[in-house]
This record gives sequence, C-alpha cells and structure tokens, in this order.
Amino acid sequence: MSQPQAEALRQPLSLRLTSGVFLVIWMLIAAFPLFWITVMSFKLPVDSFAANPLSVIFGPDTRAEVGGLSPLDIVLGIVGIYFAIRFARHLAALARMVSIAGQSWLGWIVAVLIYTIAVLVFFVGIVPAVSAGLRDALGGGFLLDPILGATLTHYYSVWVENTFYHQFVNSLIVTAGVVLVSLTVGTLAAYAIARTGSSIAFWLLIAALIFRALPHSVLVAGYLPPFVNSREILMPLWESGAVGWFFQLFGDEPPTLYGRHWAVIIVLVSINQPFTIWMLRSFFMSIPAELDEAARVDGCSHFQAFRRVIIPVMWPGVITTGLFSFLLAYNDYLVTSLLLDAQSQTMVPAISGYFNRETTTTDQVEAVAAAVSIIAPLFILIMVFQRQIVSGLTAGAVKG
Amino acid sequence: MLRTLLLASAGTLLTTSAALADCAFENELPLSSLSAGFEAWYAVTDAMAECGNFEAELDQEFRTKQPTGFAADPSLYHIGGVANGTLVPLLNDGTIRPLNDLVEQYGQQLTPNQLITIDGDIMAIAMMVNSQHLMYRQDIFDELGLEVPTTYDEMLQTAAAIQEAGVVDYPIGGTFRTGWNLAMEFINMYLGHGGQLFNPDKTPSINNEAGVAALERMRALTEYMDPEYLGSDSTYVQQQFQQGDIAMAVLWASRAGAMDDPAESQVVELVTMAAAPSAVDGAPPASTVWWDGIVIAENISDEEAAAAFQVAMEGMDAEMVQANNDAAIWLIDGYEPNRLSEGAIANLMGGTPPYPASTEMGLMHTALGDNLSDFLIGAESAEQALADAEEAYLTAARESGLVQ
Amino acid sequence: MRRSTFFAFVAPSVVLMLVFMAAPLVSVLIQSFYLTQNVFEEVTVESCTPGFPNPVCTEEIQSRRVLDEDGIPVTETSFVGWETYRVLLQPEAVAEAFSVGGGGVAALLDIDFYKAARFTITFTLITLPFVIGVGLLIALAVNNAIRSLRGPVIFISLLPFIITPVIGALSIRWLFVGDGILTAALEGILNEDIAVFAHGWAFEILMMFYRVWHVAPFAFVIFYAGLQTVNQDTLESAIVDGASRFERLRYVIIPHLMPLIVFVALIHLMDAYRAFDEVIGFRSEAHRITLQWLTFNFLTPDDSGNRAISRASAASMLTMLGIVILLIPPLWRTWRDHRGR
Repeated sequence: MSQPQAEALRQPLSLRLTSGVFLVIWMLIAAFPLFWITVMSFKLPVDSFAANPLSVIFGPDTRAEVGGLSPLDIVLGIVGIYFAIRFARHLAALARMVSIAGQSWLGWIVAVLIYTIAVLVFFVGIVPAVSAGLRDALGGGFLLDPILGATLTHYYSVWVENTFYHQFVNSLIVTAGVVLVSLTVGTLAAYAIARTGSSIAFWLLIAALIFRALPHSVLVAGYLPPFVNSREILMPLWESGAVGWFFQLFGDEPPTLYGRHWAVIIVLVSINQPFTIWMLRSFFMSIPAELDEAARVDGCSHFQAFRRVIIPVMWPGVITTGLFSFLLAYNDYLVTSLLLDAQSQTMVPAISGYFNRETTTTDQVEAVAAAVSIIAPLFILIMVFQRQIVSGLTAGAVKG
Repeated sequence: MLRTLLLASAGTLLTTSAALADCAFENELPLSSLSAGFEAWYAVTDAMAECGNFEAELDQEFRTKQPTGFAADPSLYHIGGVANGTLVPLLNDGTIRPLNDLVEQYGQQLTPNQLITIDGDIMAIAMMVNSQHLMYRQDIFDELGLEVPTTYDEMLQTAAAIQEAGVVDYPIGGTFRTGWNLAMEFINMYLGHGGQLFNPDKTPSINNEAGVAALERMRALTEYMDPEYLGSDSTYVQQQFQQGDIAMAVLWASRAGAMDDPAESQVVELVTMAAAPSAVDGAPPASTVWWDGIVIAENISDEEAAAAFQVAMEGMDAEMVQANNDAAIWLIDGYEPNRLSEGAIANLMGGTPPYPASTEMGLMHTALGDNLSDFLIGAESAEQALADAEEAYLTAARESGLVQ
Repeated sequence: MRRSTFFAFVAPSVVLMLVFMAAPLVSVLIQSFYLTQNVFEEVTVESCTPGFPNPVCTEEIQSRRVLDEDGIPVTETSFVGWETYRVLLQPEAVAEAFSVGGGGVAALLDIDFYKAARFTITFTLITLPFVIGVGLLIALAVNNAIRSLRGPVIFISLLPFIITPVIGALSIRWLFVGDGILTAALEGILNEDIAVFAHGWAFEILMMFYRVWHVAPFAFVIFYAGLQTVNQDTLESAIVDGASRFERLRYVIIPHLMPLIVFVALIHLMDAYRAFDEVIGFRSEAHRITLQWLTFNFLTPDDSGNRAISRASAASMLTMLGIVILLIPPLWRTWRDHRGR
C-alpha cells in the first residue's frame, strides 16, 4: 500500500477513542445481565434478591451461613478461567488427537467431555480442597478468609436432587437430532435450488420465506390434538390389509407422538427449514457452478457430483448454518413445552416449571442456577466455534 | 375450640399406625399423573411414587394439558390433580370416571369431606382446602397499637396508619397480576358485596352497583400497594412479606408456611393469620374456599383404574400428612392444625362460600382477568371495564354454545 | 439440472414443510370460517364440596355438555363466514369510535386486536433501524479494534444473541422488577420512589431495548463478515479520489453491505412481528400485548377448558396478512433481482 493511502486509512485519535469507548459500553450492556444472574445463582435467596447491589455481589448472609471465596480462591479461579478459555481454542487439536478410528465427531465428543470434566474437577474439586487445606494448616489469615459469599447449593439441588441431567440429556438428543436432520435435508434442497434457474425454485424460496414468518403458536396449536391422539388417528393405517403389514414393521401399535423426541425433532426441523434453505442457498451460490459442471462432464450424476465435489467444500457454510439450527433447537420454548411430557422434557421448558409452580424464593434462585446451567454450554460452543461463524459467514452464507 | 372441631371432623390420627413406613400396595402397572406443581402436590406424588411404577408430572401448565391428555384414548395420564375450577372441563368432556365403587372397595378411611359428589356420583377425592385470608405483621400491629381489620374499610384505615408511621415500603400486598389472579380478587370482592354474577339465562350481570363498588374498593387498595401490582402474583407477595416490604395482604393459605421458613424469610414467626376482611359490615369474609384433589381417567382399563386409585390413596394417607403437616390445610386424617392454619379455619368458620365453579364461571373468570386492568391503570371508567368484561364473556359464551 | 433431479433433491424438505407448515396453515384458514360449538343441557344437580364441620351440599341448575352414547361430548360445527373476523375486528365499534362524539383513537385501541396490532407494528418498525444501526456500529467498531482484542470482543458481543430468549428477557426483567438493582440505582440518583413496571411506556421501552439487545449481535456478526469482503481495490481508488472517511462509508461500504442489510431487515421484520417471548418474560399483558400473544391467548384454554379456536384462527390469518404486507417491499426487491438474473 502506498504512503498516502496508508495515511488516509490511519485513523485520528478521536475516532479511535470514540470507537473504543463505544465498544466498551456495548460490551458492558451485552454482558451485564448475564454476569448478574450468574452472581445471583451463587448466593442464598436473602442475598440474591437483596436491593443493595453490594450485598448481592459480596453476599454477607451467604458468607455468614455457608462461607465463600477467599482472595486466594479468587486468584486461583481467575487463573483457571484464563487457562480454560485459552484451552477451549485448542479443543479442535485435542479432538484430532483423541479421534477414534478417524471418526472426527467421536473425537469431538470425547474432547468436549474431557474438557468439561477437567474444568469441573478444577473448580469444584481442586480449588476448594487447596484453599481449605491451606486454611486448616495456617489457621486463616487475610488471604484465606472468605470475603465473597458463595454457595453451590442451588446447583447441587438442581443437578443432583432435581435430576436436571435428565433434561440435559433430552436437550442433547433433541438438539443433535435437529441439527443433523435439518442440515441433511436442507443441504440437498438448498443445493438444488442454487443450481437451477427455474421459476419453481424462486417460488419455493418465497413460500419458505412466508412459512418462516408464520407465528409459531398457530402451528403448535395445530399439532397438539393430532399428536395426542395419533394412536387413534393412525390406527386405520395399521389395521388396513394392504399397507398394514408395512406399518406394523415399526411396531405392533401406532405410536403416540406426544412426548416423543423424534416427533419434536421433525417439527423443529420443519420450522427451521426455511432459514436453513435460505442460508445454505446463498452459500452454494458462492461456490462456482463450474466445479460440479466439470464433475458432470466427467460422467458423474448430479448426486455424485454433489457428494464428490460439493460436500468437501461446503463445511464452512454448513457449520455456520448448523450453529443457527443448534441455537433454535436448544433455545426453543414454545414447541418443546407443549409437545413433550415430563420424562422427555428439555431444559428450557423445565426451568419455566420452577417459575410457574407456586414458587418459594429458593425455587427462584434454583431457577436462576438452572438458567445459568443452560447458558453455560452455549458459552463454550461460541468460544469454540467463534472463528467458524465469522469465516463461514464471510465465505458467503449471507450474500442476500 | 376451632382446633378441636377441625380435629373432630378430620377424625382421629391415632387410628393409623405410623409403622407403615412404605407403600402398603405393591403397584405393578405403569401409572402416571398430571397435577399442579405446588408443595402439597410434591408431597403427595412423592408418597405415591413409593408404590413403584409411577411417574408424576407436576406442571403449572396442567390446566392446558389436562383436558387434551385425558381426552386421548388411551388417556395419557391415569391420575389427575384438580381443583374446583379445573374439575369442570374434565367433567364437561366426560373424561373422568365415577369413583363410587372404588371408594367402597379401597377408600373406607376417607372422610365425607373428601368426597366431591356430583349428582350422587363421587367424581373426585379432595385432599386439602385453600382459601385467601388475611396475613399481617404482628410486630408492626403491636408496635402501632392497631386492631386486626375485619372489613376492607378498616383495612384501608389500618393501611393509612401504617403508611403514616412509615415502617414498611408498602402497607398492603395483593395478588393483582393481570389475568387469573386479578379476576379472583374481583370475584372475592364482588361476591363479598353480595353481587350475583349471572342472570338465570346465563347472561352476565356484573355491570351494576356491586361491581362498581368492588372495583372502586380494589383501586383504593392499590393506593397502598407497590405500584407494580399488575404483575404481582402469589410468589411476589410472598417475597414482599418475607423481605419485610409489606405489612399485610390477603393471600393464599398454602403460602403461610413460607413465612416461617428461616432459609428465605426475614419475618419468621412475625406473620399472623386471620380471616379475610368482609367487604361490607356483617358479611362473610370476602373470599372463596377451594379444594384440591385427585380424579381418575375414564379412558383406561378398570384394572389400571383400581391400581391408580390405590396408589392415590397411599399418596394421601396419614403418614404423608404427618411428614408434611405445614404444606397445606389437609382434609386427611392425621392433620394437626397450628398457628399457620388459623386464618383458613377462621375463613371457613366465618361462612366463606365455596368458589362457584361451573362452565359459565370459567368463561367469566377469563373474561374478567383480561379486562379489569384497564380500570386500575386509569384508562377506563369502572362501568366501561365491566361492560368490556361482559362483552368478552358473551363472545366466549356464544362461541362455546352456552348462550344463544 | 433436470426437473426430476431437482425434485428428488428438494423432496424431503418440501414434504416436511408441506406437512408441518402448509397443512396446519390451510386448516387454520378453514377453521377461521367455521365455528364449533358445544351442546349444553340444563340439569339440576346436587353437588357436595368440603366445608366445616360437614360437607356443603347444594342443589343448583347447571349447564352440562351433552355426551353421546360413547361418552364423547356432542359438538356442532357450522359455517359462519366472516362472522369470526367481525367479532375480532368489531367494525361497528370502529365506526362508532370515529363518528361524531366517538372516542376516537383511544376507543379504537381499547379493542384488543387494534391494541395488539398497534404495539406490534410500532415495536417492529422502531426496533428495525436500531438493530441495523447498532449492529453496523458494533461491526465498524470491532473492525477498528486491535486484531488481538477482536476475539474476546466478538465473543462478548455475541452473548445476547446466543442465550435463550426467555432467559435473556428474565435476566433484564430482574434488574428492574420491584427494587431490582437498576431501579434502586435510579431511585438513588433521582431520589424518588420509582416503579418501572407500573407504566405502559416503561414496558414498551424495555421490551424494545431487550429486542435490540438480543438481535443487534446477529446483525453485527453478519455485517462484520460482510466488512471482511469489502473490495480493497474499490476502497483504494476511493482514497485516491480523495473521498473522506464518511464518504467511503457512505459510497463504498454501505452499498457493499446492502444485500446483508436487506437480509437482516427481512429476518428482523419477521421475528419482531411475531414477538411473543417479551410479553411472557416481562409479564406485560396488562399494558402491552402483541399479535402472536393474542393468538396464543385465544388458544390457551379458558377456565372452562374451551379454546377459542375460531378466533385464534382468524387472528392468525390477520397476523399473516400483516406480515405479508410488511414483507412486500423486500420481496419486491428479491423478485427484481430474480428477474434480472
């Protein structure tokens, strides 16, 4: 770059300052509510809902009742968080290292498990043990006496007593199902739409757009009665002579769809289909059509061309779209709360149970702890995939 | 006197031996229940679960799910937890079964008070009663030398005195949250003024003097409340009490136990219970009596019904009550009334009417809940708000076929 | 691509959308013209409920639904045409409001549907420029930041978007409700008692604030990605031409981002128009309601177990109509692009 251009690009101090200050304010606004509920979740109810912000942060009542964090704990904690964040960036490397039989997704699962366990062991096991040991050995002191009231009781009651891990597993099943099915179905459709010039494709896109605008409550209300009565409704199919044998392969009796994970997965996939198609279509448009045309010339069918040529280069766009599907499925409230029962409930509707039941204040803090537990995996997810989101979007998933 | 009476009506607790530690009935059929999710239901469903093969779903959205779930064939749930109001949709759809035979066979220990009878058929088994009654801060009343108010006029005067003394943020708390809660407050007040909700032909009759008086009284109360009263439900009022923000409130009896919970309350043993104030001199407390209990689904086999009933009886036995005495005002043998149940008992002794649950009442409750807040925020006159509520009721009643 | 190949590729997706979106939509359209009523009979019933010391038994006339021989309630479904729409839109009341001596706009907004429509549309249109503006500003500021800081900044900026909406709304509500810490802080500064959730306008502002807080990061990350692909040659030639910083933004960067701005606007219009989580999270139903909440409210069984299916269907068809109207300008642009290709 030549001299005058570099000069023109260099920014005056005032501009840099304004932009910096703006960013700092924005980050405060963005993070504060979340920071605050995290703080609340570690306090006893009296402190959590105190009017004075200082007593929410320092938790005098919690400190008096159950103890808390000493300056040493805090220093250890900050160091731990620093390394946890730094290490999260290298999860991909770990995943490659532990990948079993070349299956990278298995490697990812193992890596994430190892990471989560290591973090939990460090914060819940090692730090308290070290500081308690030191306190016993030295008999206290400024650095070792608790100054910040904190307690894990609410997390304990949420995860252990109220067996929140059931809901966690349910959430994992639903989310994984939605992401996989939605990407498989969506990729095929989006590829076809991107590679055809016909008007049908255009009208399909417009229809998808209008479907995306549908208020979900309308759809869900339409689903509820057939889902609950599906056994009765589907019975004729099972009993009819002609096709009955086929359906009986799936089970002796028609299923009740209500409370089934796969039924909810299909509903969420359908709801998410329009967005997936739009995102992926613009991404495929950015992949030069010459690539698969060349493959076609070599004698591949459309599907073979798709498999051999497109699949290897489509991952940045697919990962980004997949993240949006993940967020939709993981965060969904309306569909899951209406179509799942207590045993198959996912995490988000489950916390509304804490609020809606005739609650005590303790229930509310437990709900806050559950809420923080729900958003914690999202933190990790974004930490790991942040670069892919930006690069995937840059690569063309959003060309309009 | 009151206690002996209640004890007598509840029967003697000595007859049931405490030696039955676990479930006496070994359940082998997979059963499930759907009920509300407050403390008493946790206690009861936990006790039911001891019989094995039982899954409880406690969900505050049960009102939405129950009619659909029970209408399915086979029913999605075997046991349902209901209250006066939520029984009506199930009765209407014919999705719950009469329990006469089952009570005869497995329910000898039930007291007459527990049998909810409709036209000679036992349709539900009640386990507890609930009612809104006065709770007040004994220490504040003692310090200021205040009498316990027995009418709403007295309550307003008392509130003025407390406000003048400035000991709490807001003298009065109230469950005025828009929707079900607000409608409940109006119904209490309106019935307390001697109002009739319906004409004989099921058309509404609330836009009258009693209706306006009830609304004006409610607005007078809000002057002493936290200005965010339209979002304040039972939990919020309970928290206000626990944190010492309010001095009195008419609140559900099932919330009394929380006042003495040292883990969250700063006013342990400082809150005393009394009957709800009357709307006019000499009238019964302006409140209604509710019950909660169980029903058994129609669309299940008779064996399942028998097993479900026995499991339910195990959940509603004396042991459970002894272990959870403060969780509710139980109707079950073995309940021991105490300081916290005084308000509910005073309500009952004062002749508080039962909540007049019926099909048209359900529509009216919803219509009131959606329309009264406009008056309280000053957007409309009382007459206009009541007219809107009548209009909404009529629309819904015509749509459901109740009124032509 | 041959037509049959094309259909093979899109079939799974299309089938899903037909079964789970188009079919419910058609059934909703049909339902909005029909009314299903229950058949009631009046019976004298003696019923007993708990009382002290003895149960209270009363005899009264009750309306009861008629059941057929299988024990299933009898219903009658009839075609009512536009009747349900009339109940919802209340044209007579509207005419009265705007006739001489009528209540004018205030009376119009007393009718639930117009109240919901008024708020939903204001909500959608006011948040739109904020989402795009704030998103663009963050994107420019991040693009301006030192490279090593960008990672953490992007991470924090994305938080409001990724977290569960219900939790996000609640976390903001807790800061203000009752004596929440921000209310307490405001009270400290202004030295008077403040109740944020006692005023309709406060709800309105906070709900809009929440929406911008939640969606601006989405706009940001899309715009930020777009900024990475700004053509450096164009930028350099603009500098050679002596374009000022603002002119470069106005004439090079914004046009480059335009398709993305349209994309974000489109998504935001659709999402904001069906706002629902805010009403639940902030408990604003006494003060402000949205169109989707209105539909949801009709669908929630009332205390007699009835769902107002017809009114809900009519309300959702009207909601649909509204979103189609809102989408016409961006769709028109897409159509032009399509024709242009």
